[in-house]
Amino acid sequence: MFSLEYVKTIGGGRKIRPYDIAFSADGKYYVLNHATGFGAGRFTVCNFDEDIIVELPDNAGDGTFAQPVAIAFDRDERMFVLDEAKHRVTILDKNAEFLGEWGANGSGDGELDRPSALRFDRNDDCYVADQMNHRVQKFTKDGEYLLQWGSFGDGEGQFNMPWGLNLDSHDCVYVADWRNDRIQKFTPDGEFLAAFGESGRGDGQFDRPSCVVVDDEGYVYVGDWGNERVQVLDPDGGFVAKLHGQATLSVWASRFIDSNPDEKRTREASNLYPDLPHELSSPFHVSSQTEPHFFGITSLHVDDQDRLYVVDSRRQRFQIYQKRR
Amino acid sequence: MSDIGLIAHLMRRAGFGASRGEVEAYAAQGYEATVEWLLHPGDPGDFGEDLAKRRAIGFDEGGAAFELWMVRMIHSNNPLEEKMALFLHGLFPVIYMSQGRALLNQLDSFRRHAFGSFRDLLVALSSDPAMLLFLNNNDNHADAMNENYGRELVELFSMGVGNYTERDVKECARAFTGWTLGNADYMAVRAGKNSFDPYGSIAWHYEYRPDDHDTGVKTFLGETGDFDGEDICDIIARQPASARFICTRLFQFFAADTVDAGGRRTIDEMVETYYSSGYEIRSVLRTLFNSDYFKSEQARYARVKGPVELVINAVRMTGASPNPAAGSAGANGATGPMGQAVYRPPSVEGWHEGKEWIESGALMERVNFVAKLFRDPSKQGVRDIIDRIASSNGGVYSPEETVDLCLDLIGPVRASEETRAHLVEFASVGGDVDLRGDDRGKSEVRVGEILALITATPEYQFA
Repeated sequence: MFSLEYVKTIGGGRKIRPYDIAFSADGKYYVLNHATGFGAGRFTVCNFDEDIIVELPDNAGDGTFAQPVAIAFDRDERMFVLDEAKHRVTILDKNAEFLGEWGANGSGDGELDRPSALRFDRNDDCYVADQMNHRVQKFTKDGEYLLQWGSFGDGEGQFNMPWGLNLDSHDCVYVADWRNDRIQKFTPDGEFLAAFGESGRGDGQFDRPSCVVVDDEGYVYVGDWGNERVQVLDPDGGFVAKLHGQATLSVWASRFIDSNPDEKRTREASNLYPDLPHELSSPFHVSSQTEPHFFGITSLHVDDQDRLYVVDSRRQRFQIYQKRR
Repeated sequence: MSDIGLIAHLMRRAGFGASRGEVEAYAAQGYEATVEWLLHPGDPGDFGEDLAKRRAIGFDEGGAAFELWMVRMIHSNNPLEEKMALFLHGLFPVIYMSQGRALLNQLDSFRRHAFGSFRDLLVALSSDPAMLLFLNNNDNHADAMNENYGRELVELFSMGVGNYTERDVKECARAFTGWTLGNADYMAVRAGKNSFDPYGSIAWHYEYRPDDHDTGVKTFLGETGDFDGEDICDIIARQPASARFICTRLFQFFAADTVDAGGRRTIDEMVETYYSSGYEIRSVLRTLFNSDYFKSEQARYARVKGPVELVINAVRMTGASPNPAAGSAGANGATGPMGQAVYRPPSVEGWHEGKEWIESGALMERVNFVAKLFRDPSKQGVRDIIDRIASSNGGVYSPEETVDLCLDLIGPVRASEETRAHLVEFASVGGDVDLRGDDRGKSEVRVGEILALITATPEYQFA
């Protein structure tokens, strides 16, 4: 029977401000921070035990990143960073040394307009969610345009400002069709296969889904951004489970609290799961008031140990859950 | 059809102004029907809040929170609802303290209560987390009273000095013991340090703590009982001084900065309505907007536009912010130098309104911001004005005709003879305005310059 058990939280304490993460072959987390400063570099390399291995510089080649939103490794462990505001992909080595870049703003083949997600397939080609062009484009990792599909609309294969995307073990492409409140599934060449979900707060319904990931059994995990939760669907799109988040203090967060005794004392006397009045009952308000809950989910990952990673960027952390088979 | 000038006057006061096309539509439905529409807000529309939230993780923190409000003021389908939120922010001011979300939630509370009973509004205000923290009611305990909120409630938020005693203040404060924030101590420590750690801001919510409430008998304004905060609001709402306070403040915000004899009679009528309606603000506003005084020529241009009113009006009128995703076209940053940064009032008394808005050095800021928008013929609202001029009478206009058309379509603005003469003198440089054929581009620029100059006149500073 499917179940997910909370494992731990990484983040907080001014150490990271994550938007997306990528895993290196040796199991390290490369955290892409949406903002620098307050103790966070552009990239933070850390591990499951919350050791910070290195902070990497904000190197976009010609300066700093403007609005980096996605990070992914190719097979050669080169780091691909997608910048939504600069409409381009920057390639860095694992020390954040600049290797190259591709992409330009526009709506023609291979051009990008506020791209919002990037992921590789098994052939090391990459798919990009081209947000304001309402389409998905496929490129070689050197930026050579291969194909595209999608246009503005709510029909099958159409999009309204897609956000996240990901691939399953067969290289089928799943897209978080943000303003259409659904997940769409396609063949690697963009042939429409299925759509999951509709607008709403109920089970199997979505409010502006931001991201999606599929595990090796075909379970689909959706970052139900507006509803501030993760929903799990079976391979046919049937509702399986939902998570609202249950973060605890990370090592870094604990250090912060321990070094601020006034906050520690008053926090320990607090109820972090408050009862809220009716006017604060929307998912956004509940998460804004309930610190352990997900708040602003921007990225989901599963690893080869059946762990689910949920980046809730507004709370400067990611939460880890263990799938039980 | 109602008088265009009267409807434009209503929309400047009960909203943030309206384009000529909008004014004509309201006029077609009639004045009183327009008043009723304003008094019954419906769906405010889509402000692109999902997109703001997607594009910026801190979309409701710091200045971004106020940007959201400005966007809503510009685009809301409910102009009076936003105008009332602005009025209530000025009447019950709090100063930004580390959390934009608390202030946005407070605005939602103002919107919910803007047209209901004054008594309920006071209860909502007294349980508003931002207000409670701002005036230290989180430190008002059964065994250690803090009278800060209790004092301001009777002095600044309702009856005013001279209508209560020092004992009333203390008894009022006792009644509000236990009215606090959830996790009050933790939230107060974090707010005091402007702390966002360890996991970002935790929004504030109200909590009543019966174990910290003084249950003893209290005597307040001559009435005795085991009062809690709601009882106090009941008593305050009944007071003639409270009725006169809220009616006068509404009059001064919506009708005229100065209360003359005619104004006093109108306030008397509002007070009557206040009691006959069970303290309902909607009914009081209806009485005001339908009063002979409000509709009179005397009431027009009798109020200095506040900076927020001025700026939002200009952005709306020019179409400078064509859709919510485009932001507020600089409105959020513009009002501060003019003396009215929202949620940065000078004190708990709020802003000193009226002529103080233009007697300071802020006049140049006002003129520069507005003139820049109206000078640009590419702005949709300016284009609409130019197109109306072009289609009104053959397309060729004398300087006098051009000035009169511009004064009409930008307001109407009622200019003095002296002001009009200056405008005509300016417009005469270059001769007639020809909005036909090849010369149209140059003439459009000239019309933009005339509109910009109108915004620099003393008359334009008044609503």
